[in-house]
Amino acid sequence: MKFLSFILVFLMTVALAIVISIPLGQIPPIAPLLDPNHGFWQNTLSEDQLAKEEISLKNLSAPVEVVYDENLIPHIFAQNEEDLYRAQGYVTAQHRLWQMEFQTMAAAGRISEIVGPMALDLDRMTRRKGLAFGAELGLKYLQEKDPETLALVEAYADGVNQYIAQLNNARLPVEYKILNYRPEPWSAFKSLLLLKYMSDMLVGDRDLEFTNLKAILGESKLNKLFPEFPKDNDPVIEASRVWDFTPIAITRPDSIAYPMEQLIASPLPQPVEGVGSNNWAVAGKKTKNGNPILANDPHLSLNLPSLWYSMQLTTPQHSVKGATLPGALGVISGFNENIAWGVTNATKDARDWYKIVFQDETRATYKYGNEWRPTQFRVEEIKVKGEATFLDTVVYTHYGPVVYDKSFRGDRQDTNFALKWTVHEGSNEQKTFILMNKAKNHADYNAALDHYAAPAQNFVFAAKNGDIALRIQGKFPLKWKGQGKYFMDGSNPKMEWQGYIPNSQNPSTLNPERGFVSSANQHPVDPSYPYYVFDNSYEHYRNRRINNSLREMEQITVEDMKNLQFDDYNLQAAEALPVMLRYLGEHKAGTPEAEKYLKELSDWNYKAAPNQKAQSLYSIWFAETAESVWRDLRSYDVPLVSPNSYQTIQLLTNSPKDSVFDIRNTEALETAEFHVRVGFDSLLVAMKKWEEEEGDYSWANYKKTTIQHLVPTFKSFSVSNIYTGGGSGIVNATGSRHGASWRMVVELGDEVEAYGIYPGGQSGNPGSKYYANFITKWANGEYLNFNLRTPDQTDGVLFKTSLK
Amino acid sequence: MRFILLTILVVLLVVFLGPLVPFWGLMIGIGLLSALILPTGFGGFMGGGLGMGFTWVGISIYLGLTSASALPDKMGELLGGVSGMTLVGVVGILGFLLGGFSGLSGVLFRKMIKPSPRNIYRG
Repeated sequence: MKFLSFILVFLMTVALAIVISIPLGQIPPIAPLLDPNHGFWQNTLSEDQLAKEEISLKNLSAPVEVVYDENLIPHIFAQNEEDLYRAQGYVTAQHRLWQMEFQTMAAAGRISEIVGPMALDLDRMTRRKGLAFGAELGLKYLQEKDPETLALVEAYADGVNQYIAQLNNARLPVEYKILNYRPEPWSAFKSLLLLKYMSDMLVGDRDLEFTNLKAILGESKLNKLFPEFPKDNDPVIEASRVWDFTPIAITRPDSIAYPMEQLIASPLPQPVEGVGSNNWAVAGKKTKNGNPILANDPHLSLNLPSLWYSMQLTTPQHSVKGATLPGALGVISGFNENIAWGVTNATKDARDWYKIVFQDETRATYKYGNEWRPTQFRVEEIKVKGEATFLDTVVYTHYGPVVYDKSFRGDRQDTNFALKWTVHEGSNEQKTFILMNKAKNHADYNAALDHYAAPAQNFVFAAKNGDIALRIQGKFPLKWKGQGKYFMDGSNPKMEWQGYIPNSQNPSTLNPERGFVSSANQHPVDPSYPYYVFDNSYEHYRNRRINNSLREMEQITVEDMKNLQFDDYNLQAAEALPVMLRYLGEHKAGTPEAEKYLKELSDWNYKAAPNQKAQSLYSIWFAETAESVWRDLRSYDVPLVSPNSYQTIQLLTNSPKDSVFDIRNTEALETAEFHVRVGFDSLLVAMKKWEEEEGDYSWANYKKTTIQHLVPTFKSFSVSNIYTGGGSGIVNATGSRHGASWRMVVELGDEVEAYGIYPGGQSGNPGSKYYANFITKWANGEYLNFNLRTPDQTDGVLFKTSLK
Repeated sequence: MRFILLTILVVLLVVFLGPLVPFWGLMIGIGLLSALILPTGFGGFMGGGLGMGFTWVGISIYLGLTSASALPDKMGELLGGVSGMTLVGVVGILGFLLGGFSGLSGVLFRKMIKPSPRNIYRG
């Protein structure tokens, strides 16, 4: 009886312990998560409560001091670069380990390991695009050609791994506890993969859509709706720049046959609209103090933990501060004692597609000219949580991977097209940032950029000696005019890229006469540049607003530059709204709602301030008008891209009776006025619904800026409905899910004066008070002091840690 | 008396050993303590349960108060739209059940291996 009682109770106890230790469906193991000694309760502690004066870090040649300022920004003081990057890896992992690993898992196509089969399709797509393949080539490149950089990347990985080895359950980031997995070792490969992931985020192509458009519209109408240079071209490199080099000759094939006329398929995921950036530098002759001032604000998806992590990295030879990317070495956008630099995306069609004709079902060879070339097979092993490992065979040609084929979305018409992309070639972007961090002048900056391939960036530069510069750097293929705009025939060797533009012939400028340099993702050059330049996503408004402002400004101060970064002026509305109001005429006049909205629009100063109602009205009205204008085009059942807002407004303003406005299936001859009025009717319908359901339609409430946790379903870890202005195409480009992910202004005087802010916080822990503490300041256009610190400085120190 | 002693020792065990071992380590410890002290079955269950449950609640509240973190509420929302305080309650119940069953197992184990007195009237 006693035995039975014990066995019964004991089994119940064990069963209870087991049930609460294992995941049940989507519910994580309850006990490890709720245990106050090891579970999420431990993540309620902020970093200052857990501070240690000394931490053991092996493989250092000398002790490293880490001083945290009041914003939890670490200032690392090391005796040499290897110690510096080892410490950077350790400190970054302390605060951002889960994010670093999650992003590289996404880049490697390994999300299924964490969340199960729901991510399998996404993982297959990521792998088929060949990001990991590119990172492997990057690692091979370092092993063969740059062991010095490799040693630093490995030191960083060692720092991360020492942190992982010391990590107990209590300190494990809460996301691991919820998703029930543990960190795996970091590696040099992962750091390189992260930089490839940036390429994937920033690079798109519209080859599929343009192939379809060409078939539907014909080339001449296509060129009219999608001109390669806009009327108001205000390029990155000033139009007056004289190109003083002899360009490499490019042979255009006599006849070009494109493989397919019209395709029905979904395009590859594209960068989110609004992803872009601003940067500029003004020369001392335009500033109040006579010093150059540099500003940079990259616009990316707004996420938590924040994409950026601020740091100062110091050795006896250099001291650099700014925004780092957790997982990559050095500072990506920042300054040191001598120079400052910043980045914006240099959009340029960097991906092309080639139709592959296989000899037979085995896909072992493909046609190339008069021969059959052998393919290579890469078997991707995708582990899936709760299921068997999935094996995916991807065919590689000399162009690159065949993304869609019979085993992956075989119903598509664009199966067996190979993706050619500079990401698939060995390159050394990490070296650029390591060199840039310690650059002293324009020559060092140029030398650093020579190692940079992708994603192409507009690197702005300013130096203490007064130089300002901008260089568009990337590995750009030599293309004949029109090459890569449409899908190409991979069996025709004449369709190949004909090499690359030499670095020395990439567009650049140094100390231009106008006294400033700037970029905002617009056209890189004016038509005089001797190489073919094409992309569908160039910016047409932020660039002109910035350049117009900088042209007018004199006696510029840091404060002026901060104000320009936070500028809410909607240039697009200023150009389009008067025309739209004119075309509207008396339409709907007399109805109370229309009168109310029209008064708000007429009184508007074109500022997209958070309390502005007219900005909400304009954004709906214009979107509905454009929708009406291009509805005919969109009715084709194939993927297409509509002409951009700038071109739409150009047509509305200058050619209101153009045939593009006429709707095919009506007898009447529609003009621009018709579409503006349809747009206004739609505005009234949308506003009636909005006012009934939501009430307030002031801009901040309408656009609902949200900074989302990297796992979107973790809603309580996100910050929603942030009260801030700005929007797409506005210098302060803060939309609902994207915007200035980092703002920096640096004046390069005798003492460098720097300010920075990003929408997040230094901690990756949603329980920490440093997780989202910058957001209010960021939303208000305020900055943190980012001046360089010395190790003995005592003001504003949160705590110090020695790594020994 | 033995119940009170067990409760106090379980509190000390959870406070000092808790940070070092997973929750099932505490369960084994409570079982051993309970077998050693040998309260009644009910005393073992309540001593282990109250000791662990209250200590887990205490640590959770202490962490919540000292950190002033919003994480308990965020986790509550994530785990089914409940408040942080509700999670404290869940932690208490969980600790009580784990500690209680461990305590009762310890008592029953000891009783099982303890030799039964035989022929007590024969001396």
